[in-house]
Amino acid sequence: MGNFTLGRYLPLDSPIHRMDPRAKIMGMLLMLIAIFIPSGWIGYGIIFVCAAGTILLAKLQFGFILKSMRPMMIMMIFLFIINCLVIHTGEPLFVIGPVIIYRDAIFQTLYIVVRLLLMIMITTCLTATTKPLDMTLGIEDLLKPFEKIHVPAHEIAMLISIALRFIPDLIEETQRIIKAQESRGVDMKEGKMQERIMAILSLIVPLFVSAFQRAEDLANAMEARGYAPGEKRTRYKVLKMAGRDYTLLVCCTAVLAGMIWLSRMS
Amino acid sequence: MPIAFEHVSHIYNDGTPYRHVALEDVSLELAEGKITAIIGQTGSGKSTLVQHLNALLLPSAGKVLILDRTIEAGSQPKQLKSLRGQVGLVFQFPEYQLFEETVLKDIAFGPKNFGVSEEEAAKKARTAMQMVGLGPEFEERSPLELSGGQKRRVAIAGILAMDPAVLVLDEPTAGLDPQGTEQMMSLFHRLNRESGKTILIVTHDMEQVYRYCDEVVVMEQGKPKLRTDVQTFFHDSSLCRELNILPPALIRMKDMLRENGFTVSDEVSDVNMLAKELARQVKRHG
Repeated sequence: MGNFTLGRYLPLDSPIHRMDPRAKIMGMLLMLIAIFIPSGWIGYGIIFVCAAGTILLAKLQFGFILKSMRPMMIMMIFLFIINCLVIHTGEPLFVIGPVIIYRDAIFQTLYIVVRLLLMIMITTCLTATTKPLDMTLGIEDLLKPFEKIHVPAHEIAMLISIALRFIPDLIEETQRIIKAQESRGVDMKEGKMQERIMAILSLIVPLFVSAFQRAEDLANAMEARGYAPGEKRTRYKVLKMAGRDYTLLVCCTAVLAGMIWLSRMS
Repeated sequence: MPIAFEHVSHIYNDGTPYRHVALEDVSLELAEGKITAIIGQTGSGKSTLVQHLNALLLPSAGKVLILDRTIEAGSQPKQLKSLRGQVGLVFQFPEYQLFEETVLKDIAFGPKNFGVSEEEAAKKARTAMQMVGLGPEFEERSPLELSGGQKRRVAIAGILAMDPAVLVLDEPTAGLDPQGTEQMMSLFHRLNRESGKTILIVTHDMEQVYRYCDEVVVMEQGKPKLRTDVQTFFHDSSLCRELNILPPALIRMKDMLRENGFTVSDEVSDVNMLAKELARQVKRHG
């Protein structure tokens, strides 16, 4: 778990951390849409400045964002290779063996890389500053209007919050089982094919057993306390939009409008 | 061959906001061929300490000497497998490590990993089953359908089948009924006395420490606060009181008797002896 930073909450104290999760989720959605509008380099520059500003305000470190990028690296390299092979427009730039690299191949890839970078920056602004529980509260509220068309908003939110709640537990459990099996001479990192299959089996089986056990325990505990999904319920934590939340929404909407305008211009 | 920690520190998640110092400059020697209890409050570093013994955790600073191996901070030790075969580590609630189809296969899993042949491993597994008190009728059953206490025995047998020279147990009796606890503890006691195995037990139960262990290490906030033999530790309850530990019932009883004018000799080490001694004194005064 040590090096995995994508989507992790960082317990800091900043104006962004204190914002209403609903505003942050909506803001993120607006910005994500803005990224997908082909507004050229100027547009991306503006989004980058906004995202970087938010990151500074949230007291996050850029190293943290770069670390989150790392799992994407292989995907990007793969994408680059595919693009080089497939795209044959623009002027040819140079030749490697039998493959001719075209200008558009490079630019297309760069566009995607930049978009991905921006997406990660923006989503990190949300996930690193919002407690998972607040996030689900926000999602539930935002889904409320859709209950009219039978979207089970509360159930979805409960599902997400339970799933999120178990992630750290299951990671811990995995590490515990790995350690226990390593103590029995299992080598998780190397070995022959057969040994590796055995090693994985010795991890997966106990993990499933304990996951089902936990799920059952939780279901019983919830039922014992009278939980019924359809019932009307009150909340301990009531979300409230403040001035800064509206400011965020206005800013994000402005950026989106700007992007649309930019793409019309070109 | 001693087991020793020399200026060992262990830091979790170093360089992140979740940084946590679990062990801080620990220098400690553990007696060979004895049963040592490691006690201390939750979060005092007991579990972290014992996981260094088979190199599941490597020290952030300092070095660990165990059997003929030296594990130093910063180095990437090779051949950890042989060390893990010699130092058997039983985790807290070891039931979750069971995964094989049958009890016998699961217990034989450890020895097989250390390169023992199929038949030999089965033989060792049967011996281990006998040691923990599981009859042959359990051999072909699925370990996942056993009761909690039986699962625990299977898991412990899985480590015993590896025939380690050093046995490390992290709260081996947590959640067992009194009878199961008794059986487990006397098994460890027997293993120590008959096969000369060095045994380390992390525990919260002072009765166990008093009855079965030879030495005590008290951990506090990532440091060993005290290391002494059990006789000295429980000579009277003052040391326990100082460390905020509830002494075993017998020690408390002896203290109360002394406070009320009885003379109780230090040799009295179980309830029967105490009863006899009291009866003698009462008769004499009677």
